Amino acid sequence: MRATAVGQAELKLFWRNKTALFNSLVLPLLLIPLLAIVDADGVPLVIGIIAFVLVMAVYYNLVTTFVARREELVLKRLRVGELADPEILLGTALPSVVIALGQMVVAAVVVGVITGVDLPSRPWFVLLAVAGGIALFALLAAASSAFTRTVEMAQITSLPVLMACFLGSGLMIPLSIAPENVQTVLNLLPLNPVVDLLRAAWQDGPVLRPVIVLAAWVAAGTYAVRRWFRWDPRR
Amino acid sequence: MPHCRTAVAAEIVDGMTAIEVRDLTRRYSGGFEAVRGVSFDVERGEMFALLGTNGAGKTSTVEVVEGLSRPAEGTVRVLGHDPYHERAAVRPRVGVMLQEGGFPPDLTAREATAMWAGTLTSPRPVEEALELVDLAHRASVRVKQLSGGERRRLDLALALLGKPEVLFLDEPTTGLDPESRRNTWELFRALLLEGVTVLLTTHYLEEAQALADRLAIMHRGRIVAQGTVSEVVDAYPSRITFVPPPDVQLPMVADPDGTGRVTVRTNDLQRTLHDLLSWAHAHDVALSGLDARSASLEEAFLAIAEEAA
Repeated sequence: MRATAVGQAELKLFWRNKTALFNSLVLPLLLIPLLAIVDADGVPLVIGIIAFVLVMAVYYNLVTTFVARREELVLKRLRVGELADPEILLGTALPSVVIALGQMVVAAVVVGVITGVDLPSRPWFVLLAVAGGIALFALLAAASSAFTRTVEMAQITSLPVLMACFLGSGLMIPLSIAPENVQTVLNLLPLNPVVDLLRAAWQDGPVLRPVIVLAAWVAAGTYAVRRWFRWDPRR
Repeated sequence: MPHCRTAVAAEIVDGMTAIEVRDLTRRYSGGFEAVRGVSFDVERGEMFALLGTNGAGKTSTVEVVEGLSRPAEGTVRVLGHDPYHERAAVRPRVGVMLQEGGFPPDLTAREATAMWAGTLTSPRPVEEALELVDLAHRASVRVKQLSGGERRRLDLALALLGKPEVLFLDEPTTGLDPESRRNTWELFRALLLEGVTVLLTTHYLEEAQALADRLAIMHRGRIVAQGTVSEVVDAYPSRITFVPPPDVQLPMVADPDGTGRVTVRTNDLQRTLHDLLSWAHAHDVALSGLDARSASLEEAFLAIAEEAA
């Protein structure tokens, strides 16, 4: 696959970027013991870790990556080559996705073993949640990058998605404290269907609605990227 | 055998004109018209140069021909295809060097080239491409540590990596030292001999004069002169300049420039120069600082920029 040539180069750049290396490899290792001593139920913890990685390692990381490559004129250069637009985006996103998957597997297994979590009874919903979540948050990152002029600005432009995901998904504050009609609206936020599908993998729960919401978000994200993604810096 | 006939027809169309631009207009989102009705053809195996002052619309034109954006009006064909809508058909056969190429600063020259090679259908070996632009000895140096001229040459290596039939070069020698520029010119000549078609933009008029088969001069989004170097230049007069002694009646019209030096413009340099020198000899007049030159591209260019201003 031609996009992997770009992915390999991105992976080299990742290894040479000390900050990125620390944030995605060392920091999680330091956090795992902290998570393990928390007296919490294993399943919500594992779900929380997967969701957190999706938002930070996939979404936030990719907003900065897309902006950096655009401002370095790397995307513009790639666009005069043979790769099609989706291949360029895929290649650029590949290392972040691979690293995020690694983080999820390692953290979920370690925490799962320590807290004695059973294997999910419906594991395909984990696969669906992770695959759909990665696609969605990579698309949202590409869309957000269009409204982000510099790498530093990403801290601000990513806030709406970060807030919506962390506050509205029930991971930090239980959704049950909100009135029912508010809950219904919150369940339309992007991270909620992912969390719902993960819960459904361990406990019984609704799957049709989250699948539809997730698919709608992926479709909306694809539209937003096609409509607004910027390949070269503003003049 | 309708199939065969189509193939032959395509071959013929393909064989003559590499780039065809018709009434091209490009408008930016603010409404600014950077290119206003530009037309030109580039034949197979020739180098066509686009010249012009800053902001004349050269890069805006070339970006549309490369297929980076779509024309507001008019049509573009590269090797018989629409470069924007038929990107997949055109790109494997062309090489592009943008005015400002982008490479991740932390990759080495070799890694950047290898990455590019991985995206191509039939790339040259990486070392060969670096060799072509005389960068093999800098292959392990990171892009951010390369000089401006070295980065230009790396960009050229990438443009050549796919063995292109058509090459787009947007100010390829800007920032190169004189020796690198000469070496790069030699490389362009070798590519032209191999039959590669080149669309060049440049600020260096001597570059166009030395290399281009034909050229167009753009001003404010329009082509104001087009043809071979001599066709463009011949429309402009030759010049003779000198400082005559004070209070001498010259035998021909001469424009003073205020410092005592005068300029004679002529379409027949040999005859006018002969007349002037015969007169000076007969009247024993000294013409100090005498300088006679045929019209050059530079003079044509400056005259066009002046006229249009």
